[in-house]
Amino acid sequence: MSQQGTVRLGADLSPEMQPIGEMVALCYQCGTCSGACPVVAAGGMDYTPRAIMRLLQAGMEEEVLSSQTIWTCASCYHCVVRCPRDIEITDVMTRLRNVALRKGYKARKGKVYNEGFMDIVRAHGRVWEAELVVRYNLLTNPLNFLKLAPVGLTMVRKGKLRFLPDHPQGRAEVRGIFDRLEGGVR
Amino acid sequence: MKYAYFPGCSQESTAEEYNRSLQAVARRLEGIELVEIPDWNCCGATPAATVNPDLPHALAARNLAIAEEMAAAEGTEMEVVAPCAACYKNLRKASHVLRDDPEMLARVNAAMEGHQLGYAPTVRHPLDVVVNDVGVDNVPVAKPLHGLKIASYYGCLLTRPEGGFDDPERPQSMDRLMTALGAEAVDWAYKTKCCGGAIYMTEEEISFKMSADVLAHAKAAGANAVAVGCPFCQLMLDLYQPKLEAIRHTTFDMPIFFFSQLMGLAMGLDRAELGLEKLVIAPFELLARTVDAPEKSTKPKKKRATKLKKWGEG
Repeated sequence: MSQQGTVRLGADLSPEMQPIGEMVALCYQCGTCSGACPVVAAGGMDYTPRAIMRLLQAGMEEEVLSSQTIWTCASCYHCVVRCPRDIEITDVMTRLRNVALRKGYKARKGKVYNEGFMDIVRAHGRVWEAELVVRYNLLTNPLNFLKLAPVGLTMVRKGKLRFLPDHPQGRAEVRGIFDRLEGGVR
Repeated sequence: MKYAYFPGCSQESTAEEYNRSLQAVARRLEGIELVEIPDWNCCGATPAATVNPDLPHALAARNLAIAEEMAAAEGTEMEVVAPCAACYKNLRKASHVLRDDPEMLARVNAAMEGHQLGYAPTVRHPLDVVVNDVGVDNVPVAKPLHGLKIASYYGCLLTRPEGGFDDPERPQSMDRLMTALGAEAVDWAYKTKCCGGAIYMTEEEISFKMSADVLAHAKAAGANAVAVGCPFCQLMLDLYQPKLEAIRHTTFDMPIFFFSQLMGLAMGLDRAELGLEKLVIAPFELLARTVDAPEKSTKPKKKRATKLKKWGEG
């Protein structure tokens, strides 16, 4: 879908944001997405999804890429199934996170979590939850370990925590996928 | 029918009882055989696409390619079965994208060494297999789950994005299964609301609000237990339930079962095979006064179950 023919609301998006702008060109601001969003209901977004759509149409990418919303989206697709314009809002949020990471927007928690998660998959071929938790909290808020201790103990008691990672034999193949993907992973 | 089984990372750790109970149940269901995809890798969950938009498709492609090799060796078609809702969604989405987009297929095949993806097999959730391949009435119920009032919780990715095995707004498959198992399927408004599991690590407070909402609605609808088909939903509602109770200043006291555990209970399987002891909110007291109670005490509850069932049909 091209943005041609839609009302021009403001500045043009930068080249890497253009495809994302095209994804939201059809939005007519009904707000169904924001009504469906459980994160909005929990007070977890600074801009509602509807507002993000409008900001993109207006070319205000600075606001969008530095928003809290793109990082608190739970990727639950509730907005997508209800959108009368069939906009892939969840994919828009994911693409925005990707651009924000590449452009170096400040998103400490999101960066540490998402890149850390994939570093672990790259290293082991599978996720190792224990490493993820330790790594994330060490790099964001080590004091959190105190708070996590009771839950950690419950998990150990219930045998829900692996002390060693799983190592599929093909983990070199998995690493190869990361290395060979176009443009690399970072 | 043989299925290429993709357990997913959680089924080896936080949700080991899901894997265990599902395999135990599948062994007893006629015509169902789950064969694990050898040497499978992580599906990439939600972080993969954030880090690189092609990465989730490439990670899925390796698993799907190995499933194709299994099918070729068997000389039959094999669909992929993924019990984790997040893996299911990632693999399902990748399968669709890679079928429709030859350019993307070429890109991920170029990134892979040792395996190449051809047709991209169909990806299914085990609930879909039970309801649509086995049929809820063909589940051999030996011990009906009388007295259990189950809130079937689909969460986000079991039915979304659209195009899967059930309606994304008002799914019924798990409710139908619960009714067939002899439980009462409670009608409630939050069955497809997201638990916030995907943002738990970075946004704990928001995710707890979301999960607490889900439990509060299940409780208000009269449920005494919740059934799930996703390891993250289970973790959020079970492991963190004491925290959710604390932030809401209430008690939920709500066991959170994997649907496969409830199937195993109703099929009369040895409870050690179902991993019930691994649930943080212990279900034993509830089971003692419902499923395991002498028939007499459950009679009034049976009556109510029939009444609600009628509404559901009408």
